[in-house]
Amino acid sequence: MDHEGQSMSASYEDQWLLGSSESKPKGVDNLSRSRGLSDPGNKEKKTVINSASIATSSKAIKRISGGIGAGGVGPSSGGVGSSPSSRVKPSTEGGLGKDKKQLTETISASPPKSSKRQSPGGNALFVQTAATTMMTSANSTGKKSMKEMTKAERRALQERQRAEKAARSSPNTAASKKAPQTNENVTPTPSEKAGSNTSGQFETIPVTKKSNVSGGISKGTNTASAPKEIHPAVLVLGLQFAEYKICGANARCIATLTAFKKVIQDYKTPNNTTLSRHLQTHLSAQINYLKNARPMSVSMGNAIRHIKWEISTIGYDSSDNEAKELLCKKIDDFIRDRITVSDQMIVEHGLQKIQDGDVILTYARSSVVQELLLKAHAKGIKFRVIVIDSRPRLEGKKLLKCLTEAGINCTYAFLHAVGFVLRDVSKVFLGAHAFMSNGTLYSRVGTALVAMMAKDNHIPVIVCCETYKFTDRVQLDSFVMNEQGNPNELVNISTSITSKPGQLAGWLQQPDLKLLNLMYDLTPSQYITTVITEIGMIPCTSVPVVSLRQDFKRVQVSAVLQGTYDFFVFINKLKRTKGASST
Amino acid sequence: MEAQSEITSVSNGDNVDSEFDIVKCYRKFLRDNEDMSMPIAAIESLIELIKQSKATTISEFMESLKNASQTLKSSTRNSISLSAGTDLFLRFVTRTSHDVTNLDACKEHLMNSGKVLVEKAAAVRHKIAELGVQFIKDDAVILIHAYSRVVTLLLQRAAKYNKRFKVYVTESRPTSLGVRSSKILRKAGIPATVILDTAVGYIIDKVDAVFVGAEGVVENGGLINAIGTYQIAIVAKTANKPFYAVIESYKFVRLFPLNQYDLPTHTPDLLTFPDLSSSTQNDDSESIPSSPLTCHEHKHRKDSDGSSGGYPDLDKAANIESAQDFESNNPTVDYTPPQYITLLCTDLGVLTPSGVSDELIKLYL
Repeated sequence: MDHEGQSMSASYEDQWLLGSSESKPKGVDNLSRSRGLSDPGNKEKKTVINSASIATSSKAIKRISGGIGAGGVGPSSGGVGSSPSSRVKPSTEGGLGKDKKQLTETISASPPKSSKRQSPGGNALFVQTAATTMMTSANSTGKKSMKEMTKAERRALQERQRAEKAARSSPNTAASKKAPQTNENVTPTPSEKAGSNTSGQFETIPVTKKSNVSGGISKGTNTASAPKEIHPAVLVLGLQFAEYKICGANARCIATLTAFKKVIQDYKTPNNTTLSRHLQTHLSAQINYLKNARPMSVSMGNAIRHIKWEISTIGYDSSDNEAKELLCKKIDDFIRDRITVSDQMIVEHGLQKIQDGDVILTYARSSVVQELLLKAHAKGIKFRVIVIDSRPRLEGKKLLKCLTEAGINCTYAFLHAVGFVLRDVSKVFLGAHAFMSNGTLYSRVGTALVAMMAKDNHIPVIVCCETYKFTDRVQLDSFVMNEQGNPNELVNISTSITSKPGQLAGWLQQPDLKLLNLMYDLTPSQYITTVITEIGMIPCTSVPVVSLRQDFKRVQVSAVLQGTYDFFVFINKLKRTKGASST
Repeated sequence: MEAQSEITSVSNGDNVDSEFDIVKCYRKFLRDNEDMSMPIAAIESLIELIKQSKATTISEFMESLKNASQTLKSSTRNSISLSAGTDLFLRFVTRTSHDVTNLDACKEHLMNSGKVLVEKAAAVRHKIAELGVQFIKDDAVILIHAYSRVVTLLLQRAAKYNKRFKVYVTESRPTSLGVRSSKILRKAGIPATVILDTAVGYIIDKVDAVFVGAEGVVENGGLINAIGTYQIAIVAKTANKPFYAVIESYKFVRLFPLNQYDLPTHTPDLLTFPDLSSSTQNDDSESIPSSPLTCHEHKHRKDSDGSSGGYPDLDKAANIESAQDFESNNPTVDYTPPQYITLLCTDLGVLTPSGVSDELIKLYL
């Protein structure tokens, strides 16, 4: 089974190298000048030093696919990985586009990869940047033999040559080509810090202002310089993701699929190839752009894999229009069956577990849990809700608003008060971002705390999760794979709309201070009592069985079926008819 | 335990719309056949219903079956194993009705398959006993709770294999079924002693393994069994003694209790506090009856009218009427979560608690 993380890391590498040569905007020259690094003399010096650190960091590249192995080299460079962005202050210049341009080049050192995985990503990118710098140094000091380069360096070289070729054909990118060379010299210096502790060079990098609107870590949301084949719907989506306008696994998945429907509808097969072959590559480009905006959620990953499978099964003889219609229908079916109807089934099952007099605790905002609570209230069950929230996302506020508008009796508290309110609680309902194969829950950061405290107090913890969020991945702790949010979010201590900086306001000036804003955490299976899925309530340990046994590509629920009994009847019937047709 | 759950007030034995009274039929099966467990009796009575069904369409037929099983479930106070049996049979019926569309053929098929199912069920216990014998080592001291047919069969089988072991049996009030267990074991040549329910913590260090049966196994591998099982499980876990559950696979129930109070047998009137403001309340009514050794040997399978079974003078002397009150105010079954159970011996093999869910998913998906 294709390890999602690995495939994404490969494409991240590719994308990053592609992006570094093509998507450099014009404003970069200002930046490099302000950093005082534009003179070639400096450049030479830095590249020479870099080659030393490449040896150590190239080892890390080999370990990146392992993910965990880079731990030794990781944390330091991971920390360094975030520091380039941390070195840059929020921009006060107006205009989103311009800010984004500066953003993209300044954080070329800490690209999406470090936001996706703290330690390994930082390393890989530094090696790549170092590699590309090496190319430039090699060009000037004599060609290095192919054997001596690492795989990434060879690939970097290939990409450079490809980019050069493209540059020759279009004059636009010629100007931008110069920019990455000067720019990448900035990036190796942090890796030096990791390697050789030459902190002097770090301090010479002047701090420039940058926008704090986008994720701070993500790059490639620069819509003006995005590759030409990105569909406008996807551009919009990328921006929305980067700014956390669309939050939550289900919402992101549905938004992605809807955008992809538009992409498919506007797609025209080129002459020399078939739809089933080329459309996948076309979609991959869009997917990579989205990944740059914000790392993909597990739900999106599974949905996209499903679409790609559907594409691959399209026959060669069907016309473009037929195929496109079929694909759009399949996407609609997926959204309906695996998300919408599944949510309804989960609510049906969950209603059995809510009784009069219950005090239900929930954390942050899960769309399914929200639906369940609203439905229970509509049914007339008398219960009250305690909403636990946490900074900096404060997603619980939206849930609170929704529930109070429906007339549910609610209490609102922050995460640090959860031990106090748990005394009255009878049940805890949590949402999920993903479920690992070893039964551990991957959800919004803070969920693990709530679950552990509840378990300690013998309060049942119920997780509501659709089966399409089950993944084959196994994760043993929260650090191996996580997403980093914008560290500047931690600076604002206001809990209302007007921002209010707290003690951390001057963190960029402090060389030893780094802010870590993790988005997700892992809850081990022993803290979870039950998982409610559309197929019923199962214990955590049965999660891998479900994803193995059910052939989700073929099971389709065509309408909301009343009650579990009828659902199973229907499924059994389907199984038998499918079995009969397959033999 | 299963047997004592038969003591319930007959509430709606008569309001079944057809002439066929399924509850009466069910009770009759239980009375006539000592060895038949509740779910099998339920399935037998459903087969009777099919035989006498006057339905003309498949959907009517299904409806009548569903209603009958609902009636059965609501007729007894503790209906967990019963519902396991009826659900299993209904699932089977549904599957058959999709394959066979003719009503008469369907009925034929169902009756034959039902017979086969019942026959298989009788043999299942012996299969489990064979599997479970390996967990009893020579010179072992076993602890069992109340009365379970499968567990006693297992111990008898082990004795036949000339294994030497001793058994502690909990008295298991209020049904005192433990006494019955000890009699059966002694007859088979196994030394058995009855201990107080409250003495489990006292002897746990002398015990090598704990064996219990169950009314039902829930979806996460937890057990529903006679009240007191949960306590024994906790004590066994703390004392690091293995806790084995021995159960037939047709007792797998599609329930997922979150805790004790999430069981269908937990009604709001259980374990309520008395209203002491009322002046007509007799002070003695709250006192504990003073005759602990008067075991209420509730002969199961006899219709109970709520009285103490024929000891009128003792009733008065020991305020048994009030004892009856608090006994009816107390639960009869409890739920043992899966983390306390070491292994489950079933006819599908020896499973871990999480394996039960995997099996259920295979059955249902």
